[in-house]
Formats: sequence, C-alpha cells, structure tokens
Amino acid sequence: MDIDVERKNETLIAKVTGRVDSANAREFEQALSGAIGDDSKVILDLGALSYISSSGLRVLLLVAKALRNKGAEFALCSLSDPIREVFEISGFDKIIPIYGSLMEVMED
Amino acid sequence: MNLKRSLRFASDLRELERIQSVIKELEKEADWPPDLVYQVNLVLEELVVNVINYGYGGDPNHEIEIDLNWEADKLTVEIVDDAPAFNPLKDNPEPDLTSKLENRPIGGLGIYLVHHLMDEIKYRREQGRNHLTLIKRREK
Repeated sequence: MDIDVERKNETLIAKVTGRVDSANAREFEQALSGAIGDDSKVILDLGALSYISSSGLRVLLLVAKALRNKGAEFALCSLSDPIREVFEISGFDKIIPIYGSLMEVMED
Repeated sequence: MNLKRSLRFASDLRELERIQSVIKELEKEADWPPDLVYQVNLVLEELVVNVINYGYGGDPNHEIEIDLNWEADKLTVEIVDDAPAFNPLKDNPEPDLTSKLENRPIGGLGIYLVHHLMDEIKYRREQGRNHLTLIKRREK
C-alpha cells in the first residue's frame, strides 16, 4: 500500500495504491492521519486501490469522523466496481460522498 | 473444469498471504473474473481474522483448514477450526448501517460483508470443530 499526496488550493488529494487489509490497516491509518493537516477538503483517490477489507473500511470511517469533527469536507473517488459494491453493502455511500472520478470531485 | 485446493495453516495473521497466493493460482488456472477474486479474498480474510482474533484470542498455535472446490456452476469453500463454537449465522449482531456519520459505530462489518457476498452459508459444529461452508454460484 502506498499513499501519494498532493495539494491543490485548499484541497488535499491522497492517491492510495495497492492493498489495505488486516495486515497493514494500522499503517494505513497512521499514513493517512499523518498526511492530513488543516486541509478544508480531503479527497481520497481510490482508483489504484486493488483490495480493501473491513479493517480498511474501519480506518476510512475513523478518518471521515475526524474530518467531520474538524468541519472539513471528505470525499472518495474512482472506486472499482467490486470495491464500490462493498462500500454500498456497508452503507458507506450514504455517509461519505463517492464520485466517479477525480475531475468530478474537483468540479463539485 | 473442477479444481480443488486445500490449505492448513497456523492461526497467525501472517498466514493471510498464503491464502492470497492460493487464490492467485486459482485465478490463473480457472480464469476467475476480478470480482470473484476480490470477493473470495475478502470473505476469507474476514472469517480467518475473526477466528484468529476472537475464536483463538490471538493465539497463533492453532490450526485452520480451508478447502476450496471450483466446479462448473459454483465455488464451495469450507473453513474448519477448533475454536469455541461460533455460528456466524446466529451469533453475530447486525451492524448499524443507517446512523449518521457522527453516530455510526466503528467496526462490526466483516461478517456482514460475508453474508452479502456469498450465495449460501451453512454452519455445523462437529467433533469440537466449527465447519463453515460458503457457496458462491457462478454467474451465467
């Protein structure tokens, strides 16, 4: 799992590549919390995420809650179909905005 | 085509990589679609992690068995462990999927995902062991 971070205006864009599972969920959590600063908007680009289990979903929920508490916006984009299905089963699509592509989030 | 794989491994989270490599073999040999590869990996991780963390309380000195059987119309997976009886069809609380973000509890999704991604789940306790059978039918 790798996270590449860039900032555009007041927005942090973090691109996640590879797998997030029980073995590296803690590392994923630390990397994300380390990357997120005082940004008013955070976008996770999951286009290159090949696998995520419930341990990774747990981290995303923690991050979403922390950002909500700070009054920052949080969105996800570019999920593959099987990963999107898992987000829908988990009801995450109702609490975290999910966009088709990075361009769509940036324009919103 | 009928393909079978059996694995026996220690109740240690580091063994998850072995499960992944067996699924990778099946993906190649049986030409599994990416959706199925993801779903089978996910379901096995959720169940095995559950057995290791809750069934064995993190003790790595037990053994877990997995049998995979790929047939013309379906995939059957059986997971066997000697942890205390746990029937994921009955003993697992439904997660809260409707609360607002602020109130949504963290966790509890693993077994729920298994229920939704598999077509059939059967549980039996036999000679002091849990046998969980999962069936995923092939899409026509």
